[in-house]
Amino acid sequence: MTGELASTASTAEVRAQRSLSATMFTNAWKTTEFRIGFFIFFGLIVLSIAGPSLLGVSPTKFSVAQKFMPPVGFGGDWSHILGTDQMGRDLFARSLIGLRNALIIGVTSVVGMFVVGSAIGMIAGYVGGWIELLLMRITDAQMAIPVIILAITILGLSRPTPVTIICVLILAGWPAYARTARSVMLSERRKEYVRAAKILGASNIRILLVHIAPNILPPIAFVAVLDVARMMIIEAILGFIGIGIQPPTPTFGTIIADGTKYLMNAWWITTVPGLLLTISLCGINLMGGALERARNKLLQGVS
Amino acid sequence: MMSDAKPILQVRDLTVELRTAHAPRRVLDQVSLDVHANEVLGIIGESGSGKTVLSRALVNWVARPLEMTSGEILYRGEDLRKMPAQRMQSLRGRSIAYIGSDPTTALDPTLPIGHQIMEKLKSVEPGISNEAARKRVIHTLDAVRMPMAAKRFDDFPFQFSGGMMQRVMIVDALVTSPDLLVADNITQPLDVTVAAQILRLLKELQADYRTAILFVSSLLGMVHGIADNVLVLAGGKAVELQSVDGILTAPQHAYTRHLVREMPRIWEAAPEGRISAPAPQSDDREVILSVRDVSRVYATKDRSRLFGKQHVQAVRGVSFDVMKGDSLGIVGESGCGKSSLSRLLSRLEAPDTGEILFKGQNIATLKGRAMLKLRKGFQLLLQDPYNSIPSHMSIGRIIAEPLIIHGGLSKAEIRGKVAEVMSEVGLSSDLAGSLPVGLSAGQRQRVNIARAMVLEPELLILDETLSALDQVEQAKLLTLFERLQMRHGITYLYISHDLGMVRRVCNRVAVMYLGRIVELAGNETTFFDSGHPYTRALLSAVPAIEHRPYEASTYLLEGEPPNPINIPPGCSFRTRCPFAFDRCATVDPMLTARGKGDFAACHLAGGGMPASVAAAGTTFA
Amino acid sequence: MIFALDFFLRRMAQGLVIIVLVAMLIFTLLRVVPGDPVRTMLGPMASAEVAEQTAQKMGLRDPIPVQFAKYVGQVVTGDFGRSFVRSAQGASTGGSRGGATFDASNRAPVMGLILTAVPYSLLLAGLALGISLLISLPIGIAAGLKSGKWPDRLALYLSSIFVSLPNIWLALVLIFLVSVKGGLLPAIGYQNWTYAILPAFVLAIELSPVFIRSASVAVSSNMLEPYVAAGQIRGLSRARMILVHVLRNAMIPLLNVLGIQAIGLLLGSLFVIEYAFNYPGVGLLMINAVFQRDFPVIQAIAILACTLLVLVNILVDFAATNIDRRLQY
Ligand code: SF4
Repeated sequence: MTGELASTASTAEVRAQRSLSATMFTNAWKTTEFRIGFFIFFGLIVLSIAGPSLLGVSPTKFSVAQKFMPPVGFGGDWSHILGTDQMGRDLFARSLIGLRNALIIGVTSVVGMFVVGSAIGMIAGYVGGWIELLLMRITDAQMAIPVIILAITILGLSRPTPVTIICVLILAGWPAYARTARSVMLSERRKEYVRAAKILGASNIRILLVHIAPNILPPIAFVAVLDVARMMIIEAILGFIGIGIQPPTPTFGTIIADGTKYLMNAWWITTVPGLLLTISLCGINLMGGALERARNKLLQGVS
Repeated sequence: MMSDAKPILQVRDLTVELRTAHAPRRVLDQVSLDVHANEVLGIIGESGSGKTVLSRALVNWVARPLEMTSGEILYRGEDLRKMPAQRMQSLRGRSIAYIGSDPTTALDPTLPIGHQIMEKLKSVEPGISNEAARKRVIHTLDAVRMPMAAKRFDDFPFQFSGGMMQRVMIVDALVTSPDLLVADNITQPLDVTVAAQILRLLKELQADYRTAILFVSSLLGMVHGIADNVLVLAGGKAVELQSVDGILTAPQHAYTRHLVREMPRIWEAAPEGRISAPAPQSDDREVILSVRDVSRVYATKDRSRLFGKQHVQAVRGVSFDVMKGDSLGIVGESGCGKSSLSRLLSRLEAPDTGEILFKGQNIATLKGRAMLKLRKGFQLLLQDPYNSIPSHMSIGRIIAEPLIIHGGLSKAEIRGKVAEVMSEVGLSSDLAGSLPVGLSAGQRQRVNIARAMVLEPELLILDETLSALDQVEQAKLLTLFERLQMRHGITYLYISHDLGMVRRVCNRVAVMYLGRIVELAGNETTFFDSGHPYTRALLSAVPAIEHRPYEASTYLLEGEPPNPINIPPGCSFRTRCPFAFDRCATVDPMLTARGKGDFAACHLAGGGMPASVAAAGTTFA
Repeated sequence: MIFALDFFLRRMAQGLVIIVLVAMLIFTLLRVVPGDPVRTMLGPMASAEVAEQTAQKMGLRDPIPVQFAKYVGQVVTGDFGRSFVRSAQGASTGGSRGGATFDASNRAPVMGLILTAVPYSLLLAGLALGISLLISLPIGIAAGLKSGKWPDRLALYLSSIFVSLPNIWLALVLIFLVSVKGGLLPAIGYQNWTYAILPAFVLAIELSPVFIRSASVAVSSNMLEPYVAAGQIRGLSRARMILVHVLRNAMIPLLNVLGIQAIGLLLGSLFVIEYAFNYPGVGLLMINAVFQRDFPVIQAIAILACTLLVLVNILVDFAATNIDRRLQY
């Protein structure tokens, strides 16, 4: 229930800012949850890059003598801070490699689906007519198969490698972006600045790339941050089922799956990777959530 | 007024502050006023004068960051500010009603209007039976002349036009017969004829219901039509309270004098009011734009038939010529087709039939390079100064964009041209490197103008270009346009709903109704000796304090334009025309010449309408 | 009436196109992945000629479009073919059995397999949806009404944690704590409906953030709509505006989310969770079919899942147009 004055004040404020997306980012940055998420996320990135060598232990070296060592504080010692698995491999080191793989797959696939999806959506929304109809029906069809089902089917039947996994995730994930980009485009192409560019004589490609894209893509990209977390979960699920990146490369999913057999006597084998994954997802989600909320608030015109 | 009776509403030293991060700012500063039973008190003020805050404060609707810091609002001696919430709430619906300026968002969009008014009635008068409530609502709908009231009871808000929706809100306010009605700028979003109808209606209802009205508006002409006394609000202070005639004849405060002087005038030309002299009427001028029988139809879904389509006839056979150096105004109310026409003229869309010849070439069919080349010659300026320029480019880059698109110039040449055009439109050259951050609406519109001017066009189409700006900025830009016209011989097409502005700057005027030009004539003829009843109705409805040649009582009928889907045969204005006769129902009048360069599409154009009432003010040659 | 007819005809036609596209995609996919299904059926012991004969007989050597046309012809009569690997008695055939004893009539019809699994999945999905709405609507609505205050913060942090819990890991943790250590609820397999509670809870946790977020956004943005303030000025109480008007209007984006996001998410996760809990629903059937390369089962489930999504979408959209008539225009 903002009064008339308050709402005009806030729109004026918005207009005075550099650009919509910069405003969103600064607004998000001001929130505690964004900062918490940011620090968790970047802390973990640093850890996953530098961690294994810092720890001084190899993630793949096994020794039967050291198997099932519990973490420090539960009867373990400092040579393997978070314990070892059934083959005596260092769990922390393995989980960090798992995190690195999950991040690579999550980020690359989201970038891919963002690029493919927004391009298709923008074209559909801008061009209209039968092209739009066709593209949107394909999008609908693709969307009618849940991501995970498509991924399980394809990867279960072919040989999963990091590249195929990323391709499958892109294939499964682009329609959501196409949908969003199209609906934003539908309202955007009626805006006066687009009309203005047309009147000046700008070509359609120029209008799309130079005028519209810089305006509509950043807010969509903000929400894509949340998808990185989703894709990381899917990567873990695929590993768990056994159709993710194949051993010996450690992934969250495979470590957790290994651990299920030893739940009773070595609970830490599933707990360590599970917790590390949950914490990193929390970081990403807090960040992405803050960006999304900043965007929604701005679009609602509340400050 | 019976000044001895106790007023029903007394406001004493009301102060409202805006709490911001910085120092609090006073939005209302010790405002006092009285409203007596059955009185209509007008409140006039510009935007930002605090009039909306004041009218909301009277129903105790002041939300953060605004805060009432002192003063009292006494309703029959009881202070609203100290009243328990429960009591305030029942008072609001029953005794003090409020209508705001945007009727289309005032009700829940998902429920029928009748049900929502009944909901209010029943919560304010708990004892009332469903049947009685329904009857009362329908009765009141009849009273505001809602056609087919019983049927429309079940319609949803989005099925009403703005004007009809405002009637619904009036019903909602009056259905409980309140003592006091706060009407906050209720005619603001409406077209002139509809606004005039609402004003007339409110006057009649006021007499019937004997409700005191606080009528808030930014237009003196509007308040003049209804109020007994007027309170002038400026910068949050009440600067003057007078009878409505007193304000006009003997304004006391400097601000009021300024307000009265700045009133846009149509018939009595204020000496400094007129900006551009009519272009010379020599016959051998070049025709720069020739529109020949242009039509445009949009297909929409028809909900009453399976897979049905219906056709909105937005532009119907429009023809006119524009001579070089002319300033042609295209006027009409919303839905008349003027914005569709502007899209066609600027070649954002192609017409279904007809030709648009710009310097002899048909832009309706031209494509590719040839089109691009021709485009330099005609440019369109849009209404919204915020949305029409990109926020992520520097100002210099924005203005250079058309040159880059059209190509053929070196970087240095482009920079030179941009600098030149910036200084021409009055933008300081050191702005070139910065983003359009923090530019005022007027400055942004200058960027727009520069961007168009850099192509050196011969024709500029101004589609409501100035309507988002305040009076002062408008005047400055009009002067700029005039200067550009003198220097470069530019031809202007003003597409506008603002008759006052058209009167001041256009030498020719085209009036549109239902997708068609019904009158096309010189400035003087249009405003003093119009040949079409619709033009006269429009002019009779303009909120003005002048003596006007056309009386609303003669020309202004009830009703709204028919929808452009099923346009009946015969004259399209006949459903609202006070002079319609048999022939009008069957024969569609063509645009025919009445005098030299003056055309009207009416069977009575040659004579048969009442003569214009001679204007009292000075006419000029 | 006309609107409803027009709506359903139009949407059903669109839906059909979508389903055919999906069917085509899955069908083609299954025929281009490496590996010969005949080998799966007959096992490694069968001779090359027998394999070739069987393949010919089953039409597996026809061009893909021909195969697809035949398949569609079958499907419209409700026949999704027979499993490659499961016998009608329920045990898996294939691999372990040698020789040419392969017998078409002995293989289980796909439709039968699916129909036995569907009730389990429905129970699980229904329970999950119920639990998650029960958790998320009160939280989401409270957050929307008190935008920026503590319920809003609570909802934010809660939903951030919920989305960050990987469902398989949560499943393991709950199995370990609640079932193995606590002995409170059964977990693996299915004997009675209590076996559905734990997996349903995992699904509900995964689903809740979607509802919490959209409910809070829907309510808070509706609270800012001018009609809410105007209603109070017209003499209606704030409580009435919220209960009668705001919640009604907030239903529309919620229905949208249900149709577009939630059902797809639920369906996808259902498969994984059934696998993790060894719960005998459609999902487990599907994942096992993938491992066994049982193509008829895979394609039938994919097509039916897609059909279900399309239908739910149509119904949800229809419900929305009934709440807000503007959507009919
Ligand atoms: S033709 Fe007839 S109906 Fe039309 S404007 Fe003239 S008098 Fe009125």
